[in-house]
Amino acid sequence: MVTAINTGDFKSKNSLIATYLIIGGLVIAVMMIFGILMLLAQGGVLDLPPAAFYQFLTIHGTGMIGGAALAASAVMWYFLSNYVELSKKVFKLNLILSLIGVVMVIIGVFSFKYASAWTFLYPLPALSGGAWGVTGALLYLVGMLILGVGFLLLYIDTGRAIIKKHGSLGKGLGWDVISGKRAEKDAPSPTVVASTMVTIVNVTALTAGATVLIMNIINVVNPAFTFDPLLAKNLTYAFGHIFANSIIYMGVIAVYEILPRYTNRPWKSNRPFLIAWTMSTAFTLVIYTHHMLMDSVMPKWMLIMGQVLSYANGLPVLVITAYGALMIVYKSGIKWDMASGLIFMSMFGWVVGVVPAIVDATIVVNHVMHNTKWVPGHFHMYMGLGAVVMIFGFIYYLSKVDSGLQTNGLDKIGFISYTLGIISVSVGFLISGAISTPRRWATHFPEWMAPAVFGAIGGVLAVLGLIIFIIHFIRYVKVRGISGSDINEQKLA
Amino acid sequence: MKQTGLGIILYGILVVPPVKAYLESIMLLHMLVQLPLLILAGWFIGDRLIKKFHPFFTAWNTDGVPGMIFVVFITMYWMLPRALDEAVTMYYIELFKFISLPLVGLFLKDSWKKMQTLGKGFIFLNYLSMFALMAWLYIDSPIQICNNYLETQQKFLGWGFLVITIWMILYLLQAVFTDHSEKAE
Repeated sequence: MVTAINTGDFKSKNSLIATYLIIGGLVIAVMMIFGILMLLAQGGVLDLPPAAFYQFLTIHGTGMIGGAALAASAVMWYFLSNYVELSKKVFKLNLILSLIGVVMVIIGVFSFKYASAWTFLYPLPALSGGAWGVTGALLYLVGMLILGVGFLLLYIDTGRAIIKKHGSLGKGLGWDVISGKRAEKDAPSPTVVASTMVTIVNVTALTAGATVLIMNIINVVNPAFTFDPLLAKNLTYAFGHIFANSIIYMGVIAVYEILPRYTNRPWKSNRPFLIAWTMSTAFTLVIYTHHMLMDSVMPKWMLIMGQVLSYANGLPVLVITAYGALMIVYKSGIKWDMASGLIFMSMFGWVVGVVPAIVDATIVVNHVMHNTKWVPGHFHMYMGLGAVVMIFGFIYYLSKVDSGLQTNGLDKIGFISYTLGIISVSVGFLISGAISTPRRWATHFPEWMAPAVFGAIGGVLAVLGLIIFIIHFIRYVKVRGISGSDINEQKLA
Repeated sequence: MKQTGLGIILYGILVVPPVKAYLESIMLLHMLVQLPLLILAGWFIGDRLIKKFHPFFTAWNTDGVPGMIFVVFITMYWMLPRALDEAVTMYYIELFKFISLPLVGLFLKDSWKKMQTLGKGFIFLNYLSMFALMAWLYIDSPIQICNNYLETQQKFLGWGFLVITIWMILYLLQAVFTDHSEKAE
């Protein structure tokens, strides 16, 4: 499976990227197992106590987003460092703080039975009805805060580096090209544009998150301090939605960088591309209100904005990227392998996964569907077949250019197994939603059980596929350790 | 030298009993005027002291981080409602206020110029979220937090914090979106 890859501009990378990806990949795999256990419990196959189910739900949501964000930030860092001067020290610090945060979250959930789901929706952390105590809540909330501090430092550094190179974040988004002050040929690369967008939205999200986390901590320590729950929910989703959403915007950098190397065609930042990314930057910050369409006390204009801008948010970048991916591949003579295949598959996952979200962002539909398993149907497809597959594509790309490691039939089986598995999981959820199965419920009526069992079987397939991906990556790390990456890079270049 | 004099005069004015009593009689003035002015006095006086004790500051505050940690801890303490309350009722807490906050100004002056962009950015965003939280806490709290200040006063203070937060956001936006190309490579 030899592919002509243009690695002329390839820069020596370090084992830190591999460490990020291994941790991210393993966390995702373990979280998938928790997901399967939950589906089996809902399907009546496994006798899981409800308290344990909600602990699993908490760790599954938190871990999936955390693990995927960690791995996606490695993708962004890897490619962005080719264009701007990033601090390796900060990148390392983010990993250390993330690990400390993760350990605290795990102890809080499993040793102290904390189970508020990732949403930690105020005032739930302090009002558990005796299900968990102050220690568990504090471990979880402070753990999340430490995780947030690590990521905040990382994005301050990317922002600093982009401003240093390009002059401002506006120029990082190519505003001077949009306004005609600069020629399209001098536009920032797609990687810089996407990284600028992620920097802006995530610094906002993490600042909002820090505020609401500390507020929850104060409330847990002294419940006499109470706060406006609606504002708390707004800030929680401003944090959670944006941060989770940014994973795909970091992952898509792999698409912009890897497909051009495989096709020997450049991915240019033209005006429509830059306008689409600017639109997504602005809209991503405000569309979290589509999570609140059922909160009747929200100002009506915010809910209408949530619906309208949700349509306007994802589509421009998605259409421009999906169309760009098709055009760059069309008649390029590309030789498909695991990396290019996964990257192309991720575009399919992104496109298809967005559809149920747009349906759910419609107010009249949302009132019926939002509390059903339709919503996990959307984000399992969007994340599982979109964002995470971009990361896996990057893993195969890295192992190829950094060690020359060959793939085999088993990897192809992994590809098919993972794809079918995630499609099954997502379809299971969507069917559950269509038959009005509520989400986040530990126990199901018998009529709701079949799609859950179907989803669990799909989950097993997906885990098998993921294990094959991880084995490949561990093989790469071992080869890299023996032969040294620089030798292989020179050989490929 | 001019700045040192200004700092000493400012500190002297703030210590004058009627000024002190008036500023502490209104919660907003206590938290958002007296406390920052004490820091400002320390900032002004700082220049001379930093020069005079240059070896000490070079040895103990090389990259500005130790000084900034001191600044963060002391300012966080003075954001607690209880700290304000105790400063009004306990003389030794009041004394601590008039010593600790000028020291904050002093260390802030020495540390800020030594810190790298990353550290400055982190500190700025840290205070942005803290001030937003304080605004929320003081506006939204359904109970009287301090013995010495009424609920209306704490709401008033909350709005003050909100104004500062909005100002910080606007400052941040202009800082990252205006062109720094001349400083760029």
